[in-house]
Amino acid sequence: MKTPLVELSVRRPKLVLALSVVLTLLLALQIPRIVIDTDPENMLPADEPVRLASDHMKEDFGLHDFIVVGIVNNELGVFDPATLGRVATLTDAILEIEGVVAEDVLAPTEVDDIITTPEGVLRVQRLMEEAPETQQESRRILEQIKANPMLRGKLASDEGKAIALFVPLESKDVASRVAAEIEQVVDHSGAEQYHIAGIPIAEDTFGGEMFMQMAVAAPGAFLVIFLLMLYFFRNVKVVLAPMALAMLTVTATMGLLVATGHTVHIMSSMIPVFLVPIAVLSSIHLLSELGVRYRHSGNVATAIRQTADELFVPVTYTTLTTAIGFLSLYLTPIPPVKVFGLFVAIGVALAWALSFTFLPAVAMLLGRDTLERFAESSKRDAGSSIGAALHFMRRHACARGKLFTTVGAVVFAISVFGLTRIVVNDNPVRWFKADHPIRVADQVLNGHLAGTYLAHLVVKGEPGALTDPELLRYVDRLQRHLHEHDNVGATSSVADVLRKMRFQLKGEDRSEAILPATREEASQYLFLYEMSGGDPEDLFKFVSPDYSQANIWVQMRAGENQAVSSAVDEANAWVATHPLPPGIELEWTGLPYINVVWQEKMVAGMGKALAGSIAVVLLMMIALFRSVRLGLVSMIPLSAAIAITYAFLGYSGRPYDMPVAVLSSLSLGLAVDFAIHFLQRSREIYREEGADFERTMVRFYEGPAHALARNIVVIAIGFVPMFFSSLVPYITVGAFFFAIMLISGITTLFSLPAILSLAHRSFFCDAKCREQQPQIAGISS
Amino acid sequence: MKRRAFTTALLTACATLLSPSSAAAQLSDAREIAERSHLAQYYAGDSGRAAVEMTIKDKRGRTRKREFVIVRKDAQDGGEQRFFVYFQAPGDVRRMSFLAWKRPHGEDARWIYVPAIDLVRQISARDKFSSFAGSDFNYEDVSGRHWAEDQHVLLREETLEEHAAYVIESRPSEGRKSSYSRKLTWVDQATWLPIKAEYYGKKDELERVFQSKATAEIDGHMTITAQSMTNVKKRSTSTVTFSGIGYDLAVDDDVFTEGRLRTPPRELIGG
Repeated sequence: MKTPLVELSVRRPKLVLALSVVLTLLLALQIPRIVIDTDPENMLPADEPVRLASDHMKEDFGLHDFIVVGIVNNELGVFDPATLGRVATLTDAILEIEGVVAEDVLAPTEVDDIITTPEGVLRVQRLMEEAPETQQESRRILEQIKANPMLRGKLASDEGKAIALFVPLESKDVASRVAAEIEQVVDHSGAEQYHIAGIPIAEDTFGGEMFMQMAVAAPGAFLVIFLLMLYFFRNVKVVLAPMALAMLTVTATMGLLVATGHTVHIMSSMIPVFLVPIAVLSSIHLLSELGVRYRHSGNVATAIRQTADELFVPVTYTTLTTAIGFLSLYLTPIPPVKVFGLFVAIGVALAWALSFTFLPAVAMLLGRDTLERFAESSKRDAGSSIGAALHFMRRHACARGKLFTTVGAVVFAISVFGLTRIVVNDNPVRWFKADHPIRVADQVLNGHLAGTYLAHLVVKGEPGALTDPELLRYVDRLQRHLHEHDNVGATSSVADVLRKMRFQLKGEDRSEAILPATREEASQYLFLYEMSGGDPEDLFKFVSPDYSQANIWVQMRAGENQAVSSAVDEANAWVATHPLPPGIELEWTGLPYINVVWQEKMVAGMGKALAGSIAVVLLMMIALFRSVRLGLVSMIPLSAAIAITYAFLGYSGRPYDMPVAVLSSLSLGLAVDFAIHFLQRSREIYREEGADFERTMVRFYEGPAHALARNIVVIAIGFVPMFFSSLVPYITVGAFFFAIMLISGITTLFSLPAILSLAHRSFFCDAKCREQQPQIAGISS
Repeated sequence: MKRRAFTTALLTACATLLSPSSAAAQLSDAREIAERSHLAQYYAGDSGRAAVEMTIKDKRGRTRKREFVIVRKDAQDGGEQRFFVYFQAPGDVRRMSFLAWKRPHGEDARWIYVPAIDLVRQISARDKFSSFAGSDFNYEDVSGRHWAEDQHVLLREETLEEHAAYVIESRPSEGRKSSYSRKLTWVDQATWLPIKAEYYGKKDELERVFQSKATAEIDGHMTITAQSMTNVKKRSTSTVTFSGIGYDLAVDDDVFTEGRLRTPPRELIGG
């Protein structure tokens, strides 16, 4: 194989070295321009219909994303003068915090209630002007909240053990700062506890911690891999070369990412963690081979040329398959996933290029002493523990081919069945461990209140449509139906406002708490609300000023996609059987619903990406081996690995969430590498050995299998630092990658020889081989 | 009118010159300017009526319209006033009517009639700062805030939109409730009517801006015939035009009673 780049590196090593470093540094100069984006909403393109709908809804109804501050006292309740006093003080402090939309804060001292005074005067006034002085007055505030359908379950729990302050934010990315400032002003002198919940805080905090994690995980992976390499090659100088290569790859790729104007999102923050182990994979093969070749020839340049000749094809193919696995992510409709896939693929290609330039150049510059010691130490491999394990695998796999093939097939079948039981589910709050304050807050507040997850169901029609009694009754019935769903704690709409107005006007007579009978009545109540001291803006959170749209607030207790979409589906099913009045449309929005949409898209997109890359990789394998059979066999280890790990999800009931969805495509390109090396190199040996399968296996397991085993260990262990993350998705990614790499590696080294041993001739022998040596098959079998 | 304004200006100038303590003199002058302005704006004639068209435009450019007739009768200048408001549009709220007894230093009394259920109810009068009919004007802007509720300072005289004006700074008097912490009013030296007013909030940030858009002399009274109020924070603007303005009409006290909400005075509301 002609490799002009390798030639150049052998002849002008210093030039190649300088060029690689300078070019990387040029790209590195771009890194300070980095723009970080922690908003999961950007998982959807900005012009995605559900995002546009959500933006419109927010504008139409003057809404913002909320965080929820909960004040809880399980023993004594929170409706006493002292606690309410602290709540009032806290509210005042919250109003002053930068980034809080002060006029829209929902708190006892900020919301209006419609009441009738003892003198019979109708009044829209602050629910709590200032903290009450007596216990009796405090309880009355609770009673008022319970009697107001717009406030009940939102502002306080029915038993009075919790109060919630809904704090709207100018933008979601201030959530964790605002929460931190709120925590600073909380007065902890009372017995009540304070919790802060809501999707924005989960998302923003996650974004912040994400970069912390990456700052730990990427160097962690680097260190672990360095130590592993040192263990394998026992030579610091030699090992520094691939580590430098990994560093150059990561730096150049991230520089390019920033230089091309991409933001660093949750996904792209993981690029370094992925690139570090992938970048050294080729180096392991090349260095292992180099050691052997140098021992034989004693000449660096010759050893390098021979190594390059031997490994150019398999390394190029493994690079291509890995790159394609990641590139397949480009088929997803999720922009950050696209960027991630594209740039990991670029990084993989870069690592490949450096492996055939930078690496040989460094090898040329290593002193004779270093190389000799390195070559010497590589002999010891045969007696190492890896050598023993490999020997064990080869013996058993080849001797009991049928048994292992059958067992493998059964495990695979059980796994495939498990795949059918996978449940797709996610919730940003669950990205934190169970004891994280955000998870605790979520659990406590949703236990007391009607739900901290706010979805919105927008009813749209012509101007004035929402004063139509028929439509109001429809909205009301739809709300009642929603209430029956387990996950829906409360709903509120303009229908509730109207019913409440009528109830108050008619002397607080329960039997009068009914919906208006005519358009005029509805319009007049709404107008009356504005005339009685009510802030029109409060009303417009439920109905647009021209009465063309209404916003049904749907409070949910769980933010998991399944729980949210189950409620949504239930409502949609009801609407399907109860036709909407003509000219009226319904539209769901709100953060919990947006999450449902992007995750559904993600799962569908990942399925497409996976299918696409499996097809491409299979075609490449067939082309590489010029054999359909070998192509199919090469897919076995990765199929097994994906099936087994994902079946674990199905059987354990662990939800298939965002990180898991991304994994399948990622692992595909890497897992097939092992099979490529195994099949390509053992086939070559098979030909050299004149179709003697046993001899082939012995040689393979004594030689190239060592590099392969090192590869498996490096890539699996490389993700181990992610286990120690405080964020669940990173742990999931780390654990699954570890499992997928280990399983596909073991399947390669264990199942492939077992399967091949059953019919090696039909796999390895091409037409020429069969013609020339028909008798050899008989001898070896 | 002009001569009166001139005389006042002359007197003001003399008082300033003669006063031993110019700050004290200025304060009393400012107060007088505020008083005259208040009377010119809110107490022209002993009674009055106007047909009002109000357009409320929010930050997204969505508009809502209100049409109503307002009838007023004063007990005495600067004292109690009674208002009768009859809504004509939007159509669904037609025939709703509203009655207010304004008490300059106490709580107003307000009633409303809801024709759809034929019900008269007294409604809250607790604060004068809530929105009037959903607009950027609050009750106090519509009926006026008595000058004695604030402390006034004459900041300067300047020309605004070709009118010589006093710039008065008003801050709520000790213990007096207010929607603003500070208000700047440009009072037209010729008409005593405000040309512009700026309302500042707790943190001294500009919250609302009042502007007089057109004036006319009607029955001998200089009258604002178009005005607007912009809420800077909400970025909404309410524009009001007055037509069919009349003063010193024969209005029976009986018009301003709860009972008449159901049977509004046809001759005054013109419908």
